[in-house]
Amino acid sequence: MAAANAPKTSWADDVDEFETPPKGEDYTDENGIRTTVEYTINDDGKKVKASLARRLENKITRKIKRVLQKAVVDHSVAERKTWAKFGLEKGSKPGPDRATTTVGENVYLKLSAGNKSSEPEQSAEQSVKASLAKAGAGKVVCRLCKGDHFTAKCPYKDSLSGLDGTDTPPAGGDDTGAPAESSAAAPASSIGGKYVPPSMRGGGRGPGESMGRPGGNRDDLPTLRVTNISEDTQENDLRDLFGVFGRVARVYVGRDRETGAGKGFAFVSFEEKSSAQKAMEKTHGRGYDNLILSVQWSQPREQR
Amino acid sequence: MRPILLQEPDPDHFAGHERSLTQIKFNREGDLLFTCSKDSIINVWYAHNGERLGTYDGHNGTVWTIDVDSSSRFLVSGSADNTMRLWSVETGKCLFFWEFPTAVKRVAFNEEDDQVVCITEQRMGHQGAVRVFEINRDGDGTNQSKEPISMFNPVGSKAVVCAFAHTNDLIITGHESGKVSLFDAKSGEEVQLNEHAHRDTVTDLQLAPDRSYFITSSKDKTARIHETRTLTVLKTFVTETPLNSAAIAPGKPYILLGGGQDAMSVTTTSLRQGKFETRFWHKVLEEEVGRVKGHFGPVNTIAVSPKGDCYASGGEDGFVRVHHFDETYFRAKPYGDLEIED
Repeated sequence: MAAANAPKTSWADDVDEFETPPKGEDYTDENGIRTTVEYTINDDGKKVKASLARRLENKITRKIKRVLQKAVVDHSVAERKTWAKFGLEKGSKPGPDRATTTVGENVYLKLSAGNKSSEPEQSAEQSVKASLAKAGAGKVVCRLCKGDHFTAKCPYKDSLSGLDGTDTPPAGGDDTGAPAESSAAAPASSIGGKYVPPSMRGGGRGPGESMGRPGGNRDDLPTLRVTNISEDTQENDLRDLFGVFGRVARVYVGRDRETGAGKGFAFVSFEEKSSAQKAMEKTHGRGYDNLILSVQWSQPREQR
Repeated sequence: MRPILLQEPDPDHFAGHERSLTQIKFNREGDLLFTCSKDSIINVWYAHNGERLGTYDGHNGTVWTIDVDSSSRFLVSGSADNTMRLWSVETGKCLFFWEFPTAVKRVAFNEEDDQVVCITEQRMGHQGAVRVFEINRDGDGTNQSKEPISMFNPVGSKAVVCAFAHTNDLIITGHESGKVSLFDAKSGEEVQLNEHAHRDTVTDLQLAPDRSYFITSSKDKTARIHETRTLTVLKTFVTETPLNSAAIAPGKPYILLGGGQDAMSVTTTSLRQGKFETRFWHKVLEEEVGRVKGHFGPVNTIAVSPKGDCYASGGEDGFVRVHHFDETYFRAKPYGDLEIED
């Protein structure tokens, strides 16, 4: 009989086979700890004993809690438990209805000191790098500057345009072959065969500059161009400075993409033209943070 | 914590329909949870197991706001159908309704439950108005006066949230411009104001249990705690997302903030799904101490049970999530032995 069942490896398994699989145990001790023992059969045919000891946390616990509440809290809560259902629930049986009430996935609230908002989020690039490293693909190395980032993200992309120029040999060897070939094969356009997305063609508008700005086009609002501000001027500083003249709709501080330091200019949009005018008159030529501010009307993009 | 998810079933669809929540409120004992949303029905749930006790049917448009009295006898609601209604909490019957020229955006009981303040919207040539009504608690509640005991029109930026201050003579209002004011309930005179309390619309206003201070949240990404008497800003909580609601956790030195990017800017901002968490901030130290994830859309409204053992959040996604705090919440000492008495 055991021979018929070919994959059997141990006589101990045969013995178990004759017994019906145990139903599992379930008992509750005097401390209210419920112990459940379950048996499952995994892929290897081996018995796995899963023992779960957990505190009673379903209906029964709730009943206990209710009793405690009644002792502490006033009658009104207990009385409200006996109210008849009404409205759309009229006539429904007691207990939560699954159509309206479900139990969600466990969520965790970990209370700890320190400001979470100041913690940087892991960027997509970092997570990709981490997963690459985990997969054993090695480190990400820039083909231009040999830095620890993707070539596309290289800060020296413009100055070291090695991949585009025909004179530069493919430095990285095997993996740079494809782009070098394609750039050589492509007709030498003015930008050197590099793919230019339609939005960037002819004029060099920033990507998505005209879209996605909450509050609509910045030309709609009376906007001042503030120049000669110090590097560490923040949006809030300018809001404070210009807020006294009227409601400031938006403040944009020009920043260096990599370092985040200010580039020394900003745009301040007011809701009303009169307050913008007043702000310009009052602040133009004024000293601010050791520098003399220069405040002008912002020119629309086309005219610059 | 395992949250209990509450959602109203849609009779026409298999999946529950998505109606965004506008306000949720616990009663004084924290055993009942009232929710209202952009469909016209108000729901009441048992907070401990999420069982729906009933619904209050009668409104004909978005229900913007609800409030329940301290004895859980009367519920008052304001709706976009230009009515304010008084309900019997126990039976779900509409006892009385008041009709206005415009939508009712906010209602609130006073501490004695004998007055209700409401804000009606500024629209169609009508000024925004704050009215105070007397609630006759004798009899079955159907015998109410149609006429407000006082009414005034705040000039300037329109009022969006309101509540009775520490006395019944004063009404706190939060305005679209970010202003927070105290009005004399009788004369409508502006007694105190803080013009620059916020830089953008005030979205929520919740009072401490003793009404000595209150918290406001705003679209300008900050929440602030103000002293009721002087409107002095005591604490400021600066987040990175527009806030829709702020609540004070009784018994613990925390406040709860909810918000999230507007739908239009979600795709352009963060890879992390939308910042729709409920944030826990330390009330005194002004630091974020924890977050709870869950909603798929901005959190519109947050309420903490007056007992401090449970909180609920209602989102744009149409779900109410009721969280009963774990033991770890009560034991946690994020700042070591530095304990702050409430």
